[in-house]
Amino acid sequence: MKRYDLIVVGAGPSGLSAAIEAAKKGLKVVVFDENEKPGGQLFKQIHKFFGSKEHRAKVRGFVIGQQLLDEADEAGVKVVLNATVIGLYQDKEVVVKLGGEVVHYKGDAVIIATGAAENMVTFPGWTLPGVIGAGAAQTMMNLHGVLPGKRVLMLGSGNVGLVVSFQLEQCGCEVVALVDAAPRVGGYGVHAAKVARTGVPFYLSHTIVEAEGDECVTGVTIAEVDSSFKFIPGTEKHFDVDTICLAVGLSPMSQLLKMAGCKMEDNPKRGGQVPISDSYGQTSVPGIFVAGDVSGIEEASSAMIEGRMAGNVAAEYLGYIEKDALKEELDTLDKALDGLRQGMFAPSNRGKLIEKTDEGIEVSQSLLKNGYIADEEIERFPGVVRKVGVHPVIECTQNIPCNPCQDACKKGCISIGKNITSLPIVVDGSECINCGMCVANCSGQAIFLVDEDKGDGSAEITLPYEFLPLPEEGTKGFGLGRDGKVVCEAVVTKCRSSKAFDKTHLLTIKVPKEYAMKARFFKVS
Amino acid sequence: MNSVNDRTRDIGPFVPGPDDDMLICRCEEITKGEIRQAVHDGMWTLTEIRRYLRTGMGLCQGQTCSKLVKGIVARELGVSPAELEPATSRVPMRPIEMRVFANEADSNKEGE
Repeated sequence: MKRYDLIVVGAGPSGLSAAIEAAKKGLKVVVFDENEKPGGQLFKQIHKFFGSKEHRAKVRGFVIGQQLLDEADEAGVKVVLNATVIGLYQDKEVVVKLGGEVVHYKGDAVIIATGAAENMVTFPGWTLPGVIGAGAAQTMMNLHGVLPGKRVLMLGSGNVGLVVSFQLEQCGCEVVALVDAAPRVGGYGVHAAKVARTGVPFYLSHTIVEAEGDECVTGVTIAEVDSSFKFIPGTEKHFDVDTICLAVGLSPMSQLLKMAGCKMEDNPKRGGQVPISDSYGQTSVPGIFVAGDVSGIEEASSAMIEGRMAGNVAAEYLGYIEKDALKEELDTLDKALDGLRQGMFAPSNRGKLIEKTDEGIEVSQSLLKNGYIADEEIERFPGVVRKVGVHPVIECTQNIPCNPCQDACKKGCISIGKNITSLPIVVDGSECINCGMCVANCSGQAIFLVDEDKGDGSAEITLPYEFLPLPEEGTKGFGLGRDGKVVCEAVVTKCRSSKAFDKTHLLTIKVPKEYAMKARFFKVS
Repeated sequence: MNSVNDRTRDIGPFVPGPDDDMLICRCEEITKGEIRQAVHDGMWTLTEIRRYLRTGMGLCQGQTCSKLVKGIVARELGVSPAELEPATSRVPMRPIEMRVFANEADSNKEGE
């Protein structure tokens, strides 16, 4: 039986991070992954990540995936693909299906980083072709270049539902409705806002009554639900769609750990069946560790840190590093993880209704109910100020751990301060040079450059634009409000692209000046 | 014995529901009504349900339906899904052809 110091199951963000750390400490490491491509979900993530520099913020997910693969390669990690781990035994024997045979390996330590699987919900017609998971839609679009459908209804307003809705729009699909049984949007407000402003209507406190069609989905009916999630008669709404996307949460894929004899618990806060483990991933079986979503659903940035923790703990377990060195590593990683687990969406705040920001400003209720901030709400946030000349307007209104904008502005116009979750402010007396770096660097696409009065009755708005084809200078169209509805006529005066913008294009539109604080998207007429 | 497995407990009669014909385990084509009826037939654990109906024993190995089945059984028993022990995890974790399963690589050979 072939032996490794460390066997990692799963080549996603946490598994690769664990393998890299362990290999750097001198362990002989192999990573098995059942997929034909490594990276887990990272290669499907085409949006820019949140966080700070240390968390690789403003880097797109698939780029992070490539960086991890390069680092793994450099550290001497062996990544074996199309390798399905079918069994894990208590003595850390790992059984792998490789090609047409079954191979047994022995790991002195094993890290399970198998991630999670999508949840499903049932409704009449849920087994019709055309009802798919949001992750499946992402796989089709972003890995295989296949359009999931033409007209799509998205169920689920968490970050997955929001991000995938935006990607569907980018692919040219029409998202006819974003639906959630919960009364409030579950994901980041900035993700919701960028979907809403393209014209996608949000239906909160609604869910699917039935999917229609004989051979495949041809339509869907939704209806409003009351506080006990019962349908309210007479509130039915019908949409012609060919695809229904489900983004209703994830469940840890923890079966291998149960098989190996690890003590398990059903913990709804962590998404279901998870191993009982300490904060660094040690399970009840010495030498078997966990990292990432399999130990509790979070997201890729924290999964990478958890992976690095588990990699270091495994190195210490096998005697490759001393206890002191481990403590030092873990202290740093603890801080990084704490940084990510701050703010309104922190795991400790899950399910809580937060009415005010840390700054004491009332949270936009329209953002939570409709996906966009109402015109009358927007000016109470510190990033939204009126000034003479070009200036940034930062529509970032929830406390989330993210700060690339303050480094993006070389002129010091934007400040978040020491606390990474604080709302960004426009610094008094600062001078904006219209460079657009803030617009391109905001992962939430929430920053606009606005010149409220050009002197000829018009205003200019520069907005982040990630759609093709890019409108040329002089293109006529409409300015859309935050709610995605046409508010005025608009004409493109500039479209800037640059390597530094990393594929976020900067579209400048000219609108009548009374719409300077209202128009936030452009639609070609 | 925990309260879930106290089979002297009265869970009431089987009451047909409007959505009993909804497919839950699509691989093995088991409906919600069949799962609910199985509970009233005395199958109170997920392992029993699996043996009785074959839920979660098809191609996807329960990846899609196990959480749904758990919810239905828990509701029928009047307990929280978290109180139900999940069905046993066994090798092979993923569906695998018998000819591959029987084809163990020579343990001295490099496997990859």
